[in-house]
Amino acid sequence: MAESAAGPIPESSSGGFASLLRVARALARVSAVQALQYRVEALGEALLTLVRVATAVVPLLVVFGQRQSVEGWTRDEMLIVLGWFTFLTGVLEGTLSPSLLAVIEQVRNGTLDFVLIKPADAQLLVSFSKLSPTRIVDLVCGLGLIVTAFVRMGRWPSPGDLALSFVLLLSALAVLYSIALLVVSIAFVAVRVDNLFFLFTSTFDLARWPTTIFGGVLRIIFTFVLPLALMTTVPALAVLGKLEWTNAVGALLGSVAFFLIARFVWLRSLARYTSASS
Amino acid sequence: MIDAQQLTKIYKVHKRPPGLAAALRSLWSRPTTEVRAVDGVSFHIEPAERVGFLGPNGAGKTTSLKMLSGLLHPTSGKVVVAGHVPQKRAHAFLKQITLVMGQKQQLMWDLPPSETFLLNRSIYDIPKRAYDETVAELTALLELEDLLGKPTRQLSLGERMKCELACALLHRPKVLFLDEPTIGLDVQMQATVRKFIRSYNERFQATVLLTSHYMDDVAALCPRVIVIDHGHLIHDGPLDELVKRTRPDKRLKLRFSREVEERELQGLGSVVERAPTSAVLVVTQAELQGAVQRAMATLPLVDLSVEDPPLEDVMRDLFAHGRAIQAVGT
Repeated sequence: MAESAAGPIPESSSGGFASLLRVARALARVSAVQALQYRVEALGEALLTLVRVATAVVPLLVVFGQRQSVEGWTRDEMLIVLGWFTFLTGVLEGTLSPSLLAVIEQVRNGTLDFVLIKPADAQLLVSFSKLSPTRIVDLVCGLGLIVTAFVRMGRWPSPGDLALSFVLLLSALAVLYSIALLVVSIAFVAVRVDNLFFLFTSTFDLARWPTTIFGGVLRIIFTFVLPLALMTTVPALAVLGKLEWTNAVGALLGSVAFFLIARFVWLRSLARYTSASS
Repeated sequence: MIDAQQLTKIYKVHKRPPGLAAALRSLWSRPTTEVRAVDGVSFHIEPAERVGFLGPNGAGKTTSLKMLSGLLHPTSGKVVVAGHVPQKRAHAFLKQITLVMGQKQQLMWDLPPSETFLLNRSIYDIPKRAYDETVAELTALLELEDLLGKPTRQLSLGERMKCELACALLHRPKVLFLDEPTIGLDVQMQATVRKFIRSYNERFQATVLLTSHYMDDVAALCPRVIVIDHGHLIHDGPLDELVKRTRPDKRLKLRFSREVEERELQGLGSVVERAPTSAVLVVTQAELQGAVQRAMATLPLVDLSVEDPPLEDVMRDLFAHGRAIQAVGT
């Protein structure tokens, strides 16, 4: 071996947040390369997304063909909820779903060993191990729906409402991510949780409607147990300038609590990892 | 470099009889039994040692390796590797070790190995110059130049394993945990991998702990072996000592210039292989000298060699002996 290469690798040049960013960037790069490996697949996925967004608008048109508002929500206001929903779906299907479903498989066949042996935060490695960059189409369509709604209403959100909405979007992402991570954590004990994950993604589908249109028990569940309200309704109310600040603070605290619980459960689950036999 | 004290791992395993009725019952009632995969194993390994970790299937080898690499938390006992408690998974610890599993792969299936290399470069934070040097070295040693740009799925098993090894060593680890690194490889590729592991160990003074079912791997690489069976340590010491202790007999290999009758071999030892112009006899250590002298005096020899029994036979006898002791004890 060459003399110059002898000895240990020099010490890490960066730590903490910088190293998290470095790893996240590398994961995103490799995912993009992976997605581009199969061009036809990537193109097909992007087209499929466009069709899905187009058909998602149809129920709104049907409902509002008969009436002017539902539980106080106008068609354009609901379009904003649908816009946030489409945006979050892009994040869910573009990052969390493929990555976390891959983890469930890795837990089952034992290849999670290779993730856990890396000197990087395992949660970061598994959360962004597999991305679908073509789901950026969802993000663009989601924002497009929100802009369309405001154009139709003939007004624009104030900078304050826009900023609050952006912060609440981040909290919505934290909640979405935390729930997905909790489901994956269960895989360490139960091994097969694919259906639980699909149950979550199917329930998430209801977030395309404002939670206030659901009554009774469902509204309570979607606010406090599976907080769909935090994901789309609250950011939509914020951008419309209709959100009370106490609700905004409650939403932020709720998302932080969800994130911390998910992190705690994840770390506990890692200790229970039993790997798979050789 | 590695210190294990009373290392124990107990799994809770859900067991049920076969059949639909039992499967239905198991929906609400799941009795579990405890399996002691590793039971009070202690050993110490010095830096730069190459140690073979042997045992039959299910003996607890892989479980031990996974506890040493921090993947599994021991149920009890203490383990320190490179000055760290593995299960804490400190980054400073993980940067010093690597794990290669012959039956599993970390290379991304659809992409060329070079892409996984680059990802590992970021994760291990390897400076560009050191990375380029290491890749160049590994490429030369393992003859990877034509492989790194091909999608992994298009590589043969042997090519893939060479790339896996390179991928696992980019950060120049000081401790190598190798779990069946030559499984499924042809003889030539096995020899290449062995030679490479040895040269890495000597060049970087890296500690190597190897499990393998191929005794040739162990004989070629590991002066010391640790043997476990049913989770218990049953031998820790030099390989030749294990051979002598378990099978004190020798194999006398004879080749003749003409066909030799069975009766001409009588009294030399027990015949285990026989052809018209060759024979292999098993002779005890005490009778060896006499047998050699008699063979040279009475047989038309063209060649004579004395060998240890094959390691496969030694291990089979060792585990059979261990089970017999357990059977008597229970």
